[in-house]
Amino acid sequence: MPIKLKPVDVAIVGLGAAGGVAVLPLARAGLKIAAIEAGTWMNPHDFRPDELHNNVRGLLTSVPKANREVPTVRDAPGAPTRRGAIHPMMNAIGGTSIHYWAQSWRLNPWDFKTRTEVTKRYGAAAIPRGSTVEDWPISYDDLENYYDTIEHEVGVSGKAGNIQGRIDSAGNVYEAPRRREYPMPALRGSGFTDLMMDTAKQLGWKPFRPPAAINSKTCAYHGYCDRGGCHINAKNSTAVTTIPAALKTKNLTIFDLAHATRIESAPDGRASGVTYIRNGKEYFQPARAVLLASYTYENTRLLLLSKSKPYPRGLSNNHGQVGKHYFGHWQNGVTALFPFDINVWYGTPAQAAAIDDFADDNYDHTGLGFIGGTTLQPHTEMHPIASANMNTFGRAPSWGAKWKAFIHENAARHTSAYMQTSAFPYEQTFLDLDDEVRDPLGDPVCRVTSGPKENESRAVAYAQKKMEEWFRAAGAIEVIRPQANPPGVSTHAYGGTRMGDNPESNVVDRWGFAHECPNLAILGASVMGTSGARNPTLTAQALSWRTADRLIATWKSI
Amino acid sequence: MKKLTRRTVIASATLVPVAAIRSAAQIPHFAILEAAADRILPPDDLGPGAKQAGAANYIATVVAADQPFLNNLSLIDDESQKRFHKSFVDLAPADQDSVLTHIESTARPFFARLRQLTLEGMFADPSYGGNRQFAGWDLIRYPGPRLAVSPEEQKLRDPIKPVRRSANNAH
Ligand SMILES: Cc1cc2nc3c(=O)[nH]c(=O)nc-3n(C[C@H](O)[C@H](O)[C@H](O)COP(=O)(O)OP(=O)(O)OC[C@H]3O[C@@H](n4cnc5c(N)ncnc54)[C@H](O)[C@@H]3O)c2cc1C
Ligand code: SF4
Repeated sequence: MPIKLKPVDVAIVGLGAAGGVAVLPLARAGLKIAAIEAGTWMNPHDFRPDELHNNVRGLLTSVPKANREVPTVRDAPGAPTRRGAIHPMMNAIGGTSIHYWAQSWRLNPWDFKTRTEVTKRYGAAAIPRGSTVEDWPISYDDLENYYDTIEHEVGVSGKAGNIQGRIDSAGNVYEAPRRREYPMPALRGSGFTDLMMDTAKQLGWKPFRPPAAINSKTCAYHGYCDRGGCHINAKNSTAVTTIPAALKTKNLTIFDLAHATRIESAPDGRASGVTYIRNGKEYFQPARAVLLASYTYENTRLLLLSKSKPYPRGLSNNHGQVGKHYFGHWQNGVTALFPFDINVWYGTPAQAAAIDDFADDNYDHTGLGFIGGTTLQPHTEMHPIASANMNTFGRAPSWGAKWKAFIHENAARHTSAYMQTSAFPYEQTFLDLDDEVRDPLGDPVCRVTSGPKENESRAVAYAQKKMEEWFRAAGAIEVIRPQANPPGVSTHAYGGTRMGDNPESNVVDRWGFAHECPNLAILGASVMGTSGARNPTLTAQALSWRTADRLIATWKSI
Repeated sequence: MKKLTRRTVIASATLVPVAAIRSAAQIPHFAILEAAADRILPPDDLGPGAKQAGAANYIATVVAADQPFLNNLSLIDDESQKRFHKSFVDLAPADQDSVLTHIESTARPFFARLRQLTLEGMFADPSYGGNRQFAGWDLIRYPGPRLAVSPEEQKLRDPIKPVRRSANNAH
């Protein structure tokens, strides 16, 4: 029998980017919170400019729980599954916000109303075949206030392009109206990103420096931001922002190195608390409300594993929607070689030149055969092993003396742009539990079923041509546009517990609470029904804060 | 599979760092490994090859317990004997290259791994045993790990003054 702990108001599983934000408003409101987190505190000494450690071996995680439960991936039911060795996400207090790139984007209004907007502009037939995309139950305007809150509480640097309708071409002219300027100026440019900004302007595009949860006044641009934590706390992970602020209230207790295994429910269908293992012992933490914030794959897995009388197919899954409407972001770069040193060694991927001219529905898609679009971002940060492993563009063999001469000349002259393309949910794309592969506890790992998509492939190919045009105009002598690759285990994984008013096709309601289980809320991009062409975290954090506010407002009746 | 209870697994699942193997040369076929890496990245006017840079020392720490990889190293020697009746390490460079080209096409995943490990041994932080005297970083003109970088160190075209230190010495 697990050891039964004293009840708390709120038990939360996972203190990452999403959970780490939600605890702050809850703690300020005086609720007593128990946080169950598989990782522990990292400190600046854990973060070194060491590519082998951070990037090749993915060893930054101090407790690699995630690596023991890496999801399997297959193209379709019945197809063979494959499995990587390294889980891209982090176990730590602060979660993956410790080693992420910190790009902190708002979605556009179009992303919340994709079905309606596409149907209006291009007709219902333009919705990709088999897609289950729905309008969100909330709009950009419902979230604007929360975007603003996160930008200020977590700390986001950037340049506004649209303050209450006033357009400023120094920022992103395509962004939706925001109430005020960012709390910190945008990250500085580098020689290379400035070149790309100037070139974009010559092409008639509208470049800008993208927003980042990085303190632009203290960032040292040291070049080991990707999959490395920040040695000077300039990266605004939740571990250095909202979590310490919540701890100050004394209302938050963190159980670190604690692995949640089940969410329990009472016979009446309410969530009763969380079972977890810590230091070899099993505990049960009773709570009046439970928040699940363990990232998309684990959110789905924990729900499916938590079977009970009221929920024989997994918690909150009586409508069979847990794991459905899943999708990963399409991230397909373009690689270029320049005839001069571009020196992108240092910096951080968020130190970029970005354009939104080809994102979302910012351009006319008539006749293109796809919906959605891509944000294009040439950026800095390059490490030596990856750089020496560069594409040889057909100009040299891949080993031997000629190759050596090639990398000697060109390692400082190549780069890949980061490009993210909007992706959509489909009937045949979903998460469930694997039949065979289990974690060391004997629980099945999460299984991703996600095959090729015509809409997304076309969108990627279109954007890659634009990126080639941009690189060539800046002087590139070689450009490679790799075949669009569908995502596998994704760092931007959406859905599985989608938000929507209709319980027949969605797991959580417009506030983030489970339709079937009123005192269970789910946090993270697993509630998002569209991705837009931008990274998910700021939206996931804004939604988390909003869900926490709702919990506070309805506390008496919860 | 042995049946483990949840508890025993969790209790034993702490991360134990793998101790670096000091006497790298003791792995089987070390000389073949070293010679093969030295053809992937050979010595020439541009600087030391993988052997002088100690890449094989690093690789040995990674593959010491990897029997299939070690067996594949002996494949390299088998092929040399077959073609030239000599051990791989005694072949002329051009003959070594022809053996490796054959291995590359017949044992693709092995060769790809050997190449990747050579890259790591050559370009990783020197604290892992390779990249001696920063030979790898000099070769590709990587200016070295810094804790802070100025705008001047991020310019187009301008060479950056290299910093030659390990990221792990302070730890
Ligand atoms: C290299 C990289 C770069 C990225 N760059 C960006 C970017 O620039 N911008 C952006 O918006 N997004 C970026 N992302 C994605 C971003 O990291 C995620 O969107 C975000 O971290 C998700 O937040 P989360 O709270 O859902 O999950 P996480 O931040 O991963 O937190 C989940 C937490 O739950 C814990 N946990 C999991 N399972 C259990 C369990 N069973 N019991 C107890 N605890 C558990 C984990 O230990 C972890 O701490 C990047 C990701 C990676 C890997
Ligand atoms: S680039 Fe800036 S934010 Fe990123 S780790 Fe370095 S100093 Fe920190």
